Amino acid sequence: MNQEDKFIIDNRDLILVTGATGFIGSKVVTNLLSRGFRNVRCLVRSARRVQQLEACVEAHRQTARVEIMYGNLLFPADCIAATKGVAVIYHLAAGAGEKSVPDAFLNSVVATRNLLTATLQQTSLKRFVNTSSFAVYDVGKKRGRVLDESCPVEPHPGVLRDAYEFAKLKQDAIVFEYAKEHIVPVVTVRPGYVFGPGKPAISGRVGIATFGPFLHLGGSNLIPFTYVDNCADAIVLAGLKPGIDSEVFNIVDDDLPSSRQFLRLYKRNVRRFKSFYVPHAVSYTFCWFWERYSAWSEQQLPPVFNRRRWYTYWKRTKYSNRKLKTLLGWLPEVPMAEGLTRYFESCRAGEQNA
Amino acid sequence: MLKVAIVGCGKIADDHASQLKRIPNCRIVAACDREPLMARQLCERFPITQNFSDVAEMLRVTKPDVVHVTTPPESHFRIATLCLENNCHVYVEKPFTLCAAEAAQLIALADKRALKITAGHDLQFSHVSRRMRQVVYSGFLGGPPLHIESYYCYELGANPYAGALLGDKRHWVRRLPGKLLHNIISHGIAHIAEFLTSNSPTVIAYGFTSPHLRRVGETEIIDELRVIISEEDRTTAYFTFSSQMRPAVHQLRLYGAKNGLILDHDTETIIKLRGTRYPSYVEKFVPPVAFAGQYLSNLVGNLRLFIENDFHAKSGMKYLIGSFYRAIVEGKPLPVPYREIILTATIMDRIFSQLDTQSSRPKHFIDQGQQTALTCG
Repeated sequence: MNQEDKFIIDNRDLILVTGATGFIGSKVVTNLLSRGFRNVRCLVRSARRVQQLEACVEAHRQTARVEIMYGNLLFPADCIAATKGVAVIYHLAAGAGEKSVPDAFLNSVVATRNLLTATLQQTSLKRFVNTSSFAVYDVGKKRGRVLDESCPVEPHPGVLRDAYEFAKLKQDAIVFEYAKEHIVPVVTVRPGYVFGPGKPAISGRVGIATFGPFLHLGGSNLIPFTYVDNCADAIVLAGLKPGIDSEVFNIVDDDLPSSRQFLRLYKRNVRRFKSFYVPHAVSYTFCWFWERYSAWSEQQLPPVFNRRRWYTYWKRTKYSNRKLKTLLGWLPEVPMAEGLTRYFESCRAGEQNA
Repeated sequence: MLKVAIVGCGKIADDHASQLKRIPNCRIVAACDREPLMARQLCERFPITQNFSDVAEMLRVTKPDVVHVTTPPESHFRIATLCLENNCHVYVEKPFTLCAAEAAQLIALADKRALKITAGHDLQFSHVSRRMRQVVYSGFLGGPPLHIESYYCYELGANPYAGALLGDKRHWVRRLPGKLLHNIISHGIAHIAEFLTSNSPTVIAYGFTSPHLRRVGETEIIDELRVIISEEDRTTAYFTFSSQMRPAVHQLRLYGAKNGLILDHDTETIIKLRGTRYPSYVEKFVPPVAFAGQYLSNLVGNLRLFIENDFHAKSGMKYLIGSFYRAIVEGKPLPVPYREIILTATIMDRIFSQLDTQSSRPKHFIDQGQQTALTCG
């Protein structure tokens, strides 16, 4: 650990990482170990991908104690066991990929509530890092073109939000409630679109292939990318820096490419495919029409395309990471060009193995 | 106006709440879940005013006319019993109960208290299922089906639910007598039960854990099942459940003395199969054209339903709920006969009793039906 770093814990304090086998979670664990923290507990739900996590931490086995704890946050007893004696919790487990609201809600909100309740029994806790998402912002209501931490969050989560967004909004709400009522020291991080090796999909912010050919919806919009290592670094700092309780941090890298630039690079570096650009006016009209039809038809077609989604994903927006740099002293270690190169290499390898 | 309550606020409860919004003369008065947050989230997204975490309290406070039980199956019997004892009609999601004995007991209790109960076999009431029934009862098959084939597959790999199940040794599905099969196959079995006349058919089941699951270390879950069902000197049936075969079909094939038909739930199509052949080479040319015509006719029918705004994903559930409510209010026949509910549970009991769910090794046995006691193991 760098002597100049002033953190709220020392390197022997116990750190809990939930969702430790996940795309970001494994990088958070590695980052902590690289920073010299020697006591990390990884909560994992299943044995799937544990081998990959173990491979990541192998280099630190001699100097650090990395505990792999199997548990499910839906079981309060598991939460109590996982939080016992911890100083910092990085809560990265979430109901990602769930298509139904109840499933996403259960695995995000109920799980988080259980974890927060368990922390109330711990006097050792100094920081709870809540991982949220850009998707919680009400982009339609933001002032100006820059999306930063001052942008309001969606006030009516039940309306036209998909399962993940609804769950993240509710997760944030319950975290803030615990922070206020039970004085849990919380910091919330909201990553943009996290990319890197191991996540081959093209962000929906660039476009969709729902109807067959790839429809390019992003155009000249900037994509709020954050390379997975940079994102993990920001999350780790959010759990360690003093004087930032109750703060919210958006995580987004520098030198963001536009959707068009990204798509061009992807095609050049990974695979060529046909795409059709859909102007913003057309995509907005399409979302408006779909939303209206869905409401009129009592959801014969579910409102998967709607204006709120358009604002969130396809409205032209700029992003700021100033707060992250100012309060956390964070700088993206992997430059965007390097991150994209690594990502494309991994996609290409995936294509060849497919 | 029927007062409706929903107990269990997981994924399927969303479908119930969505369809109930489309049914006239009913309103949802309460949502209940052991986890208060789950009950609250349902109330926030649907026009439901009261939420509870205790069923007895909900019944006492809101006095619903009908309760939809959408909890995991192991609690169906207990909650449905409580609702019946509190004079509520009950819609129980599939699988109806853990075993046929529980199913029979619930139905007896409903009868005793002059209440109605039904099972959530909504796939039998989709547009295409109803069309199939019309074709069958018009005599197209040339009498009752002689042979039935029911396919009900499930893409395990692509499903978040499967990820949760496979990754969690304490998942509630693992506690069911038939584990994964118990939670899924009742739609496909109910299709067969509808056309059987015996209450005690012979069931031969063969199941195993697929190599795909074994590769990820799974040994408890049986995800491949083949079943032969037969009635003495009458109807026979095959049932297939697979998590691996592609396409993951959901089909019913009926073969009568004269003709047959294929019902496809995924494409919502019915294809009639002629029992007689054209002479010589004509058989190679005319039937493909006739099939093309049938597919085109199915397309037109589906488009018509869509334009008429009657082609929702869960239209079968809406029809089933509506029919059940008409049975309650107007005394019309129940959409799912009690005999069919018990027979579906009986066949499932016999399948599970033959599968050694603790072992991944393929096993099969022959159960002569009458020897199986109708008690939950």
